[in-house]
Amino acid sequence: MTALSRWIDGRIPIEPGALRELTNEPVPYHLKRWWFALGGTPAYLFVVQVVTGVLLAFYYQPHPSTAYESVRYITEDATFGWYLRSVHKWAATLMIAAVVLHQLRVYFTGAYRKPRELNWMVGMLLLICTLMLGFTGYSLVFEQLSYWGATVSANIADTIPVVGGFLKRMLLAGEAYNERTLARFFVLHAAVLPGFLVALVAVHIALVRIQGVTELRFRDEPPQEEGKFPFIPDHIYTELIIGLVLMVLLSALATLAPATMGPLADPMTTPEEIKPEWFFYVTFRWLKLMGGTAAVLSMGLIVFVMFAWPFIDAWFRRRTPFREASVWIGVAATLLIIGMTVWEALVPH
Amino acid sequence: MNRRSQDAPADTRRRRFIVAVSRATMAAGLLGGYGVFGSVLGRFLYPAGDSGTVWQFVTPTDRLAVGDSLIYTTPAGAEVHVTRRDDTGATGDFTALSNVCPHLGCQVHWQPQHNRYFCPCHNGVFDREGRGVSGPPEGMVLSGYPIEVRGGMVFIKVEATPLVVPERRS
Amino acid sequence: MTLETKRIIIGCLGGLFLVSLVFVQRLETVRRAEEAGLRPAHVVAPASSVDCVECHQETNPGIIDHWRGSTHAEKGVGCVECHQAVAEDADSHGHYGFVIATVVTPRDCAACHPAEAEEFARSHHAAGGNILASLDNFLAETVEGATQPFDPHSPTPGRPMEPVNGFASAFLGCQQCHGSKVALRATDGGTVTVDDLQPDEDGMPTNADALGRILHNDDGRPLFDPGTWPNTGIGRLNLDGSRGSCSACHSRHDFSPRRARQPENCGKCHLGPDHPQKEIYEESKHGVAYRDLTDSMNLDAEDWVLGEDYSAAPTCATCHMSGHTRNDGRITHDPGERISWTNRPPVSLPMDTDAEHRIVTTADPSERREQIADTAEAKRTRMKEVCSHCHTPDYVNAFYRQYDDFVTLYNEKFAKPGREIMVSLLEHGLRTPTQFDEEIEWTWFYLWHHEGRRARHGASMMAPDYAHWHGMFEVAERFYMEFIPQAREIAHHAETNGQRPQARAVQGLIDLILARPEHAWFEGDSQ
Repeated sequence: MTALSRWIDGRIPIEPGALRELTNEPVPYHLKRWWFALGGTPAYLFVVQVVTGVLLAFYYQPHPSTAYESVRYITEDATFGWYLRSVHKWAATLMIAAVVLHQLRVYFTGAYRKPRELNWMVGMLLLICTLMLGFTGYSLVFEQLSYWGATVSANIADTIPVVGGFLKRMLLAGEAYNERTLARFFVLHAAVLPGFLVALVAVHIALVRIQGVTELRFRDEPPQEEGKFPFIPDHIYTELIIGLVLMVLLSALATLAPATMGPLADPMTTPEEIKPEWFFYVTFRWLKLMGGTAAVLSMGLIVFVMFAWPFIDAWFRRRTPFREASVWIGVAATLLIIGMTVWEALVPH
Repeated sequence: MNRRSQDAPADTRRRRFIVAVSRATMAAGLLGGYGVFGSVLGRFLYPAGDSGTVWQFVTPTDRLAVGDSLIYTTPAGAEVHVTRRDDTGATGDFTALSNVCPHLGCQVHWQPQHNRYFCPCHNGVFDREGRGVSGPPEGMVLSGYPIEVRGGMVFIKVEATPLVVPERRS
Repeated sequence: MTLETKRIIIGCLGGLFLVSLVFVQRLETVRRAEEAGLRPAHVVAPASSVDCVECHQETNPGIIDHWRGSTHAEKGVGCVECHQAVAEDADSHGHYGFVIATVVTPRDCAACHPAEAEEFARSHHAAGGNILASLDNFLAETVEGATQPFDPHSPTPGRPMEPVNGFASAFLGCQQCHGSKVALRATDGGTVTVDDLQPDEDGMPTNADALGRILHNDDGRPLFDPGTWPNTGIGRLNLDGSRGSCSACHSRHDFSPRRARQPENCGKCHLGPDHPQKEIYEESKHGVAYRDLTDSMNLDAEDWVLGEDYSAAPTCATCHMSGHTRNDGRITHDPGERISWTNRPPVSLPMDTDAEHRIVTTADPSERREQIADTAEAKRTRMKEVCSHCHTPDYVNAFYRQYDDFVTLYNEKFAKPGREIMVSLLEHGLRTPTQFDEEIEWTWFYLWHHEGRRARHGASMMAPDYAHWHGMFEVAERFYMEFIPQAREIAHHAETNGQRPQARAVQGLIDLILARPEHAWFEGDSQ
């Protein structure tokens, strides 16, 4: 044992104590509350996505002539294929939900304020990255929704002034959906976006470590308790519990509502009823309400406002008497998003 | 979680036991759960079933006389020598041998005048049972295919799907 | 929460995760088992037919798509296996490197299905082509059509003034069910059929002169007489001497056993005014149950054994052909094996058959014993084995008693007297030997061929409306209100035209018949 540790030490000269010091960040007491663990949840789900995604990629073939059949093979023929594909799909859903909930938590606890404005912006990038992963993901199946979703999205991009056409051609690898389009989506989904995501998560966590987790105290906390507890092993256990609950939940969802396959993409027929995945309902409804360039530009503006919110909020708090305006704006925006999502979910068109 | 330094010494043993049990439970749970999950992942990667092979009709038994053989081409394009050796009406009457030389993969062919299979690449010779009798494949055997006789018909189990290599566009 | 609690929770959750995966494993196993039977089999084109499939996929995708769904495709039986021919075959021709024949005959199918072909060959189905020399065919060829082409007597705008093909009705009517005599066009303007080719036992033509007369097109393909091909009539007379067409029931090119098991398949021919078996079946409890329980019929089962694979309802195939648990699931391709009465002729006969599967008609008991190879009773026993899957012996025996009584009543009260009168009229020169040129011949034909058969078939398959209103009621009306008055009228006419003895003989016979107790109620005639 000592010989082995000496051997390793000789080749990887890292002080175990220093490593422990580096990773074992003292965690504020409020993280004992489960809903503060929402940041770790998408991270865990991302690992699930990488594992299941790599496996699915062993069978998936990103070409219009074979994509649908390869997904069918995964779903119907490969051993446990239906399960892994369903877990992948449900983990994506949960991941997006967790990211959004994490963002809501950060927003309403004001955790984005100075000095954490930059990390909020990194978080925004992570949100966009996650949504893009979702979009490219369901584009790969090459069912009707995949094809028309991609076509519609590309044409939305096209309406952006100046750079629209360029974006569309970059996305589709041509003027219209062609046989090289799927490869693009696949590489984006399986390499580029996950790569970005990993890098952003690294920055995100590094910033958390550098700045420390926002400390909050709740009234019901025993005042005599120390303010922080060690990351290892206590918080690790918490994350393990969350991870296992997620695995059980994913297994349950995968067996109760397994991922299905829609009709094969048909470039000649747009389906009567076509909708993106639920997480785009709000943008989809927005597009229907506004239409054309106005919708795209207003959407861009909203995203920009979300990005810059820490600074806008700071300006509000400094220059206006409405110090808690952010809460009310947040409530209004959340209700609006939920409302539009439900609206889109309920009506056929 | 908080290590209470004021624990009475009498409790120490009980506490140690609880710690040990809880650690063992955790280890077993993690190992069991993720271990089985890992095996699911592994089995997903292992090629599923034998969907690549199919039973295919070769010939009515009475169309192949004892001692005769025919060349059956599989859907994947491989040639198989189907030979009738007996007429008991059972599956054992027939053999099906691949024409791929076990030496380096060249194509052997049946030479009726010599009553042998011959591989031109390195002068490999196989007897009618597919056993290598001279040349580099001596001691090797031509690989066989499962054969079955059902209702007076010979069926063979072969690879169904050829690897399709699209022709280059000119 | 202490660390210990957390660890134990982790342990338990890990266990729960494991349990969920065990459940996933179970689902996977169940799914595999379920799909093992349902999944469409992996179909590949056998190497022998790759080129055919590739080309015909473009030219006739329906043929290829049908074939892809067939058990043949699943088992590697492609196009060449059935269509291959040798150069000596009358209808063979070179086709992209293959020697093939267009028409696939029972002889071709027999290469792999000898038992089925043999059963079929001895069945009444295979003899369907015999109609070509029968009364019915006289109807289509002569009464409905014309045995010689004739010219139109006035122009039809938009159509050329071409000779009228008098066989059109026979070709499209009779022969599409009964089978044509497949004919190739000859260089001399005539045709070459099996009669000219005189094939030997292996189906090879022996008449070189006939072979030489076959007309080929520029590609070397022999040309079929369009009246005789396309044809999937069940008793088709093929060029190789074989009789019948397997695709009459096992439609090409998917040869679906599923379809052959359904009554609609038989309904192509077994329907209409003269033998409405399909309609009779639909009216019966059997057909009603089938329509309701089609989903429980397990029609895709590989063997489809009654009592094992299904028992929801019987179809035509169930009773007349299919295997069941009492006969080890043995299917027969001779539907006559279980039929105890033949209701086809004017007077029904028990199906006592000789070694050649012909009905023994002699009345002499010792001769009968000598000739009969398979009795009607044995056939009925075979049918009862089927019945007994759903009915008790008492029930089945009592039904057969009802059925026998019904057929006998028809035979004795109407059929035999009618036949006697018709024979008497002919013998005494009071009607011509030519059929259908006198009213009474139509009346008699209606009586036995349409109404009489409807009645008997209705009784045999439990359709009361066909037994009675479409059957015996119309038989009786035809007999009393048309047949007897017409016969009397003929006799009366003969008497006034100096054929007194003949007229008296016929009148006497009619009086004798009507004096029988079963006709005694009938007084309208005496006035």
